[in-house]
Amino acid sequence: MQQFVFYAATVWMTVLLGVCIAQLLVARSPATRILVLDTLTLILVALLALYSLFTRSYYYLDAALILALLSFVATLTAARYYGEGSPFA
Amino acid sequence: MSEAELRLWLADALVVAGVAIMTVGVYGMWWMPDLYTRLHAASKAVFLGVIPMLLATALVGDPEVGPRALLIAAFLLLTTPVSAHAIARAAYLAGERMETPGAIDESGHLRPARDGDEPAGEGL
Repeated sequence: MQQFVFYAATVWMTVLLGVCIAQLLVARSPATRILVLDTLTLILVALLALYSLFTRSYYYLDAALILALLSFVATLTAARYYGEGSPFA
Repeated sequence: MSEAELRLWLADALVVAGVAIMTVGVYGMWWMPDLYTRLHAASKAVFLGVIPMLLATALVGDPEVGPRALLIAAFLLLTTPVSAHAIARAAYLAGERMETPGAIDESGHLRPARDGDEPAGEGL
């Protein structure tokens, strides 16, 4: 039962990842692309948490934490570049 | 049912709930007509979908997993609204229009009105 939930959840999250990538390709404005990239990295964080759950090791959560941190900083910087021209405005 | 089995079942249920909420979020992001409504769907639903999965990881793993999962959850709780606000502000300053019918731009002082805009509201 656990194995089935693991495989099903991983496959479904990968499908969601594919949907986000498709959204990235058809997006028309840069703000939508920034939003979709932020969502992509959060889905990756969830995938890493799922993997950490089912292999019972805590190393993947370290990677998830770093991904969350970097995605936050990247989203803020990209948004500032798009909206105000420079991140230090 | 022993405690370990109960924990496993609870972790499975939490994972399924988290995946369902994330599906709703990504679905909303795809079908919403506008950046601002997409932001609404994506930031809230995706964040709320990650939380049950982290909780499930904290339930089942070693004692070292708990503080890490809690740290990720606390960090996401604090920074998701900030990211959403930054994206919305950048889109507004760059001139993104609100495509949903009946949208009124009530803060017209940051950007001059263009042709076809709804008149600025007087505030509630």
